[in-house]
Amino acid sequence: MKKEDVIVAKELTKTYHRGSEEIHALKDVSFSIKKGDFVAIVGPSGSGKTTLLNLLGCLDSPTHGSLRLNGVETTGLKEKALVKLRRDNIGFVFQQFFLLPTLTVRENIELPLLFTRRNGYGNNSHEILEMVELEARAEHLPNQLSGGEMQRVAIGRALINRPKIILADEPTGNLDSATAHKIMELFQGLNKQGLTLIIVTHNIELAKMAWKTIHLRDGEIV
Amino acid sequence: MNFFTLSIKNLLRRRGRTILTVLGVAIAVAVLFSLLSFNSGYEKQLSGELDRLGIHILAVPKGCPYEAASLIIHGGVIPKYLSNADAERAKNIEGIDIASPMLLHQFFKDGTPHIVYGVNMADMAQLKPWWKVDGRFFSDDEDKVMVIGSSLAEKEKLKAGDTLPFGPDKMPFTIVGVLEQTGTQDDEFHFLPLSVAQQTFGKSDQITTIAIRVKDVSQITEISKQLESIPDVQVVTITQVMGTIMNLVGSARTLLISVIVVAIIISAVGIINTLLMSVNERTREFGMMKAIGASGMDIGKLVLIETMLITVVGGILGLLLSISGSSLIEGFVKGIIPYAPDGRLMTPEPGLIGICLAFSIGIGLVCGILPAIKSSRLTPMEAIRSNLE
Repeated sequence: MKKEDVIVAKELTKTYHRGSEEIHALKDVSFSIKKGDFVAIVGPSGSGKTTLLNLLGCLDSPTHGSLRLNGVETTGLKEKALVKLRRDNIGFVFQQFFLLPTLTVRENIELPLLFTRRNGYGNNSHEILEMVELEARAEHLPNQLSGGEMQRVAIGRALINRPKIILADEPTGNLDSATAHKIMELFQGLNKQGLTLIIVTHNIELAKMAWKTIHLRDGEIV
Repeated sequence: MNFFTLSIKNLLRRRGRTILTVLGVAIAVAVLFSLLSFNSGYEKQLSGELDRLGIHILAVPKGCPYEAASLIIHGGVIPKYLSNADAERAKNIEGIDIASPMLLHQFFKDGTPHIVYGVNMADMAQLKPWWKVDGRFFSDDEDKVMVIGSSLAEKEKLKAGDTLPFGPDKMPFTIVGVLEQTGTQDDEFHFLPLSVAQQTFGKSDQITTIAIRVKDVSQITEISKQLESIPDVQVVTITQVMGTIMNLVGSARTLLISVIVVAIIISAVGIINTLLMSVNERTREFGMMKAIGASGMDIGKLVLIETMLITVVGGILGLLLSISGSSLIEGFVKGIIPYAPDGRLMTPEPGLIGICLAFSIGIGLVCGILPAIKSSRLTPMEAIRSNLE
């Protein structure tokens, strides 16, 4: 059975202005990602990896080009529609975890529900805690956790709204290699359950654990 | 978890700063409540005190009428006199209910000033119907009798039935009654029959003032004009006295209001500064929240709830502080303004408490709106941009 495209990017271009200087972060990037893919976006610093991830996550809009997410054309959408699109489709994982220090593991995982519960999302935090193997740590605060555990909390938080795609920006960047490997294994496990995963990393070894790789250099796919 | 608990947890994260900001609001609200409460209590007590005089107009000798009237209210003595005949003429003016002649005399005993009022007790019973006495009132034809105020009785350890050597000749006077506490200056005075007072102090036919009650208060201006046609008489109405006293304390009130306005501005600037700082510090956090599904409105709501929590808790704390410390504050303010009526001026009136709480909510809205808008307008990118390559 042919897999459907969840992301279709056509000639994505992003230009920033810093004073009078123009920075071409992405130049005419086109690709598609199918449902259930596990894609690593790799490239050196300044190649446009994070810019691309932000465009895919509707956190930023392209200067030029088009992006279809789950069949919806995202360019030109208003902020309200983008919020809904993000809520319904995307889970984010950041390099710095961004956990709220006064919330427990469970509360951090449940945080997105605060913004989405009114839209009928159920509370499946127990299931998520099990999935990221943190049931025993549910009532701990972030400062009682190791780096790997904190990233697992962040992954749990990304999963709570049952997204179709997980976007992770250097999710192993702050972890030692053994822990990073474990996180990648967790991603592989999630991918096996049908989740589409897009990971930005500059670690080629870890990128090899993904099915597909998009190499970026100077804002272009190479 | 809801927005409210999340806000509380966020505030507790920066406990020291939150406590200081709450204290800032508390001080502003405490100062505001104290001023409003003092102001309203002051006017109420002053007007009550003047009301309890039972007098609408004071006829005084020509000279400095307002000062004279104030002196008479407080038991001061002016070295000018009217005569019994003036009082009789006043009584005949149409529209006057009571025109009661009074003689005031001051003497010193052990360095303490004592005030003697020569009065017609029959008139006083009408002018001050709330007077109650332990013992009895004197009748106007009695000799060597007096009624004294409660504070004076307490200070001098006197009671009804005691005999007191009194006047320049130390004649034995019988205290026939002690007034029950009135909460006014009356508590400090000696009251004697008018003729006895005139005779004792060698001021026969002399009176200090004529206390006048009119039948219809709307006639006060007309009656005042007629009274002034009596030679040597000047008229002061009780509303003029109140106006004079309010003018006297006006400058002190202006000063107090200025202090409060400054306190409130400082507090508001402090709150806005703290909140903007907190929003700036949490830019990335807000970016993360937006990335995981929060709308701009959600973030703005969170910031606004935090602000409201700070200001409402600060407001309640400020009210508690000023209510519990009101006697201290009252004592302090009474010390710096020229005249304050007796009795409790600061009372926790529900209306004022409501105004102060509304004020703290208003401060919260005003101070929270800018940071809330700022945080809600952040694009997730702006927030996470600092992570860009």
